[in-house]
Amino acid sequence: MFVVTEHSPGQVSARILGPYALESQVTLLRGRLGLDDPLLLRYGRWLATLAGMADNRLSDPVIGLGLNDPRGARYFGNLGFSLMQKQPVIDVIGRRIWPTLALTLWSVGIMVPVALVLGVVAGVAEGRVADRVISGATMVLTSLPEFVTGVVLLMVFTGWLRLLPGVSTLDPGDRWSVGAQMVMPVTVLAVASGSYVARIVRASVADTMRRPFVRAARMKGLSQRSVILRHVLRNALIAPVTVILLQINWILTGVVVVESIFAYPGLGALLLQAALFGDLYLVQALTMLALSVAVLTQIAGDLAYRWLDPRIGR
Amino acid sequence: MSRTLHPYIPRLVEQYETRAVSRREFLRTATLLGMAAGSAYAVAGLSPTATALAQGTPRQGGTLRIATTVYDVNAPWTATTTAHPLIYSQVVEHLTRTGVDSVTRPNLLSGWAPSEDLQTWTLSLRDGVKWHSGRPFTAEDVIWNLTRLLSDEAGSSMLGLMKGYMLNEIDTGKTNESGRAIIRHELWDANAIERVNDATIRLNLKAPQLAVPEHLFHFPAVMLYPEDGGTFGVGRPGTGAFTLTEIDPGRRAVLEAVEGYWGEGPYLDRIEFIDVGGSEQAIANALASEQADAAFQVLPDYFPLLANREHLQFYDVVTADTAVVRMNVTQEPFGDARVRKAMRLSVDAQQASDLTFGQFSTAADHHHVSPIHPEYAEVPPMTRDVAAARALLAEAGHPDGIDITLTIQQNPPHHLRNATALVEMWKEAGIRCEINIVPNAQYWDVWLTAPLGMTVWAHRPLAVINLSLAYRSGVAWNESGYANPEFDALLDQAESIPDPVVRREVMAQLQTLMQEDGPLVQTYWRKLFTFCDKRVTGFQMHPTYAVFGHELGWSDA
Repeated sequence: MFVVTEHSPGQVSARILGPYALESQVTLLRGRLGLDDPLLLRYGRWLATLAGMADNRLSDPVIGLGLNDPRGARYFGNLGFSLMQKQPVIDVIGRRIWPTLALTLWSVGIMVPVALVLGVVAGVAEGRVADRVISGATMVLTSLPEFVTGVVLLMVFTGWLRLLPGVSTLDPGDRWSVGAQMVMPVTVLAVASGSYVARIVRASVADTMRRPFVRAARMKGLSQRSVILRHVLRNALIAPVTVILLQINWILTGVVVVESIFAYPGLGALLLQAALFGDLYLVQALTMLALSVAVLTQIAGDLAYRWLDPRIGR
Repeated sequence: MSRTLHPYIPRLVEQYETRAVSRREFLRTATLLGMAAGSAYAVAGLSPTATALAQGTPRQGGTLRIATTVYDVNAPWTATTTAHPLIYSQVVEHLTRTGVDSVTRPNLLSGWAPSEDLQTWTLSLRDGVKWHSGRPFTAEDVIWNLTRLLSDEAGSSMLGLMKGYMLNEIDTGKTNESGRAIIRHELWDANAIERVNDATIRLNLKAPQLAVPEHLFHFPAVMLYPEDGGTFGVGRPGTGAFTLTEIDPGRRAVLEAVEGYWGEGPYLDRIEFIDVGGSEQAIANALASEQADAAFQVLPDYFPLLANREHLQFYDVVTADTAVVRMNVTQEPFGDARVRKAMRLSVDAQQASDLTFGQFSTAADHHHVSPIHPEYAEVPPMTRDVAAARALLAEAGHPDGIDITLTIQQNPPHHLRNATALVEMWKEAGIRCEINIVPNAQYWDVWLTAPLGMTVWAHRPLAVINLSLAYRSGVAWNESGYANPEFDALLDQAESIPDPVVRREVMAQLQTLMQEDGPLVQTYWRKLFTFCDKRVTGFQMHPTYAVFGHELGWSDA
């Protein structure tokens, strides 16, 4: 990531000073920041700054960029400054992570039970009316991109009915409550991820229902409810758990479209803005964060597998 | 300080009275030459305050929420967008102020007086202006700020703007990674920025320049508090009607009124700038659902959504804001003037303008001088002639046409509309063009080098400012590499002539030269517009998006 974003030293100083800076000004700043040094040396310096072993040159008052980090120039976890917001990257991400976490929790909190119920109902009733209705609806919703769902909701609830706010800035002074502002982003995410999860659950449940141990349980005289709750669900949920955890990963780091449509102040919109602006240090940090979340959700998935099917651990 | 009128002003009044110059030409030139805007308007038989009065009397108090993009503003001198000064210019102010009518008035100055040759500008500071700390605003503050803005170290775009008449270039003898000489700058004379007394400074220019007051309104040129070392942020002193109390870049900035402002107002207690994620759609949505009272600007795509909202008032302004397709003459095939002219002859500017903006633009004529510029000269329009374009291409050695690539920015979306219209028109003349869309930030990496690019040029009150910045030989922002001694000589002449009638004759030659030889295809001038709550008074759409917060208020209605 470092190589991709910082291959051209001129690019870093040009980003800091903006499009209207003269070449002489860009050259001067590049020299002062040590951006003419070899890439390997600059990478070593970046690692040392991250580890708190070297100062971040951007905040040096002599350079005069007006960038100030209240923690000082040297501390562990120093990810540099956002060139777009002229603030420490750690602060920028710190402010944006909470709205995205809230969006994730609400979306997952609504999506998981609804998708499980719909998937189980459709899987158990495979081939019947309930299955056809649920499968048809979830197939359509899965195919719809988030920007379509978002724009349709905006047209209906903001444009025509005027029941919900058009943007979700989470501004406490807004005439709409924060709850009202959350409705549409949460709905779009829950629909987008929930319909897919419901289809996976349905396929897994339908497959499990055909397995011999389910037939055996029925022949033992267990009620349909007991068969489903005690035998089918535990076996059928192994595949969907991975999908659900991947959805959490996607919501946490990849909700670019939804956050942009609703002006939601989260990490997805931030990543898009940073990429378009060329905010190198912020893109680096957000990519590291996304990778960390991906690794953590994979580990969580492996642990959940072991819990659902202890044979995997043996 | 008592000021004497510039010797040309009586002649200008006479020219206006005999209708040798238009009202616009008179107002703009008279004020630049130091005549008070009120007097100029009175001579022209107009009232400059008619619009504000029509909106009603503001009551004291209230909060106004404006949808925009909230950037961090701790370094106003390197501000790169017109959204930056929306926030900081409510606290730290400019020496001058160019209004919605494109007339430049004194702001922290009480006036200016140029010498007859336009090479010495005496700037008088307004009495009674104080920093929020209580200290008076003095000539030393102005000198400190201007000197800093014009230093290489500050990294301000003011340097590029004023370089031609305030600075000398020094070759350091070193080269950068591209092999180009590393150039430093210094004031052309030790006395270039001269202190006359506590309330007066003098700018001694190395070349005549009429647009000095307008350059002082360039968005990074605000007066910062020297004791802060030029930094800016929450609670930092300024001379403005507001103080910054909170800023969360990407989300919102809050400004609160201060006591004892030297000028009109403030009427509002508080202004909140709300960031809606840089999305034009979100700005329109915020206005529609009353989550914002006003917006920085609205794009034509969203006009239908807002036009019928009963709580909103439409505001627009005709500007010289444009995007030009500029050909880099150092790269083939654009080194040949016949190819450049064929590029222009093969397009219909009116059609391209209609397809790009519809009712929100007017056709341009490939010379980057707008009919709203006071020095505009009427020259024959360039009409589409595909056969002539083909003949020119053949003459230039391209009988089978040419294959080119046009690089454009991803946003705003009308760039693609304009590019698509041009590409279809060029096709008929044998000019086969591919469109290369790049993220905005990446465009600025190639804007000086791409063979063919589409670049936004903001509104500037005088055409000579843009011509000087974009097409003069060797200047920093000359993205086309255009170098024509005849053009430079005409431009030098135009910049030093205060008489609009004489200047217009020179401009006619300049405009014709651009049509025949110039490095650009320019098809539209934008009209900027926005919406604001009907109950807000004092609001106007400014051609450079400026908002003067101290004049805004809520009406009793």
